[in-house]
Amino acid sequence: MTEPRAFIRVDGTDRAFSPGETLSGEYRFESLSPESVKAIEVSILWCTQGKGDEDMEVHDFRRLSPDDSDWVDFEHPKYFNTTLPSSPLSYDGVILKIRWYVRVRVILKRGKDIVVETPFTLGDVPTAKSVEL
Amino acid sequence: MARNFRVYLKKRGSRRTGSPALGIIGEAVFFSLLFLAGCVGLVCVFAWFIIPEWRANHEFIRHACRVLDKRVAEIPDGDSTTYRPEIQIEYEVGGETFHIWTYDICGTYSSGRVDKEAVLENFQVGKVYPCWYDPANPSKAVLVRGYSWLLWLFLILPISFVLIGGGGLIHAVLHLGKSAERSAATTKGPLQLELFEREGRKKTELPKVPTGADMTNSPGTKLAYRLPIGTAPAWVLFSIAMASLILTIVWAVFMVVVIGGHLKGNVDWTASFFAFVLTTVVLGMFVLLIRQLLITAGIGPTNLEISDHPLYPGSTYRVFLSQSGKQTMKRLSVLLMCEEVARYRQGTDTRTEKRKVCEENVFEKENLEIGGSAPYETDCDVVIPHAAMHSFKSDHNEVNWSLVVFGDVDRRSNYKRTFPVIVHPKPTGN
Repeated sequence: MTEPRAFIRVDGTDRAFSPGETLSGEYRFESLSPESVKAIEVSILWCTQGKGDEDMEVHDFRRLSPDDSDWVDFEHPKYFNTTLPSSPLSYDGVILKIRWYVRVRVILKRGKDIVVETPFTLGDVPTAKSVEL
Repeated sequence: MARNFRVYLKKRGSRRTGSPALGIIGEAVFFSLLFLAGCVGLVCVFAWFIIPEWRANHEFIRHACRVLDKRVAEIPDGDSTTYRPEIQIEYEVGGETFHIWTYDICGTYSSGRVDKEAVLENFQVGKVYPCWYDPANPSKAVLVRGYSWLLWLFLILPISFVLIGGGGLIHAVLHLGKSAERSAATTKGPLQLELFEREGRKKTELPKVPTGADMTNSPGTKLAYRLPIGTAPAWVLFSIAMASLILTIVWAVFMVVVIGGHLKGNVDWTASFFAFVLTTVVLGMFVLLIRQLLITAGIGPTNLEISDHPLYPGSTYRVFLSQSGKQTMKRLSVLLMCEEVARYRQGTDTRTEKRKVCEENVFEKENLEIGGSAPYETDCDVVIPHAAMHSFKSDHNEVNWSLVVFGDVDRRSNYKRTFPVIVHPKPTGN
């Protein structure tokens, strides 16, 4: 039996966006039985990586459950869009990195969640370098 | 099982081990116990003190009684003893005569025998005094009424337990069975849930960029704003002085014990070694204290003003520097600095690591003589790099920008004064 899988496609060629721009895309599933799904959560979020403890904040979030009128049609991709905020911009620092993601979490009635995420960049801050020797 | 419920949390790069479910359950159990302890404490305080006091003040019936005897009751507790006044009274209710030892309703013991003896002086054996008895149980009576406000303070502990435990329990229950994203979205507020394709929402204009409100509330004399100093030298001096004082007291006590041992011929070499180490540390603290004292007292105040705030990448701003204090300086410079700050837990400690990612010289002057009558004043331009990251502040990570004044003073310690500034992202559309 094939493992159930989820895919995200973000519109645009380089997945690079400016603050205030609209991010859109779609997500779809493979080998996923609709009866096994409890809920689907779609988030546009940023998180920090690096030396410090992780901070995360969700910019946009939507939870869909089978009772919702716009419940997912598992045969077709589901569209999403959001207007991106002015900050925090994506950042590739020395001990701190700020990453933006589109994350889709499929919460199953039994078993572990299926989580897929696609990174994208917000803004155009270049990689930082340490100035200390 | 072990893979699903990892007790120990390890951070490996950007990945963490550990079971979030176990964490939430542990949190819920801890706060439940705290909440329960608070509830039990509240019930006890109410049952033993508050309700009896209220009943004595509102429901007990005034009556007359005769004093038969008096004493100071005491409870020895190790080295200390607690006391309470007790008076034996006789009174009659409904044809029945009662003989009881009493004073107030709570019957609490406290230190200080003299106070209690003074209370007993107010009652003469054989004389008649008013008393108040419990209509529900006439064998219970008191000679004084009123509220002992100290007992109400006992409420603070259980109430704080109930509030902390209850709050933590609500937090844990709200996050139980929720994904990290849903929890984060809920933390932001219910209005932020299910935001897709909805209009008219008001969001923070620049999330996670510090507002820097205190940087624009002081107008400058030459330029628009006078920048506040990051940490005032006087506060640094005070902190070092307090640390030195505490350390010196500890050192003095330790030395008395060690020297006493030596004089009695009872030499403890381990204690002597620690005394030596402590002496070195105390001397080091004094050197630090004197250095800071020289910086604070010997070097006058540094003022920095800026033409605009907040700052934007690619923009140029005018900076005005004023350095007071009579001194000969080998070098005075102003630098634009950007620093990454990361805080992380290591065991029970919280550690902070900083890394400088931008350092640009804004102003530099060598061999400078500052007179005592007037401060040295100059102005210069500061350019925020075009590709600069904006100021950022989250719970554990920061990107901080600042203008730093460095002074290399002849025959004195160097000094560094930091003036934080806020850099915003480039405005959209530019």
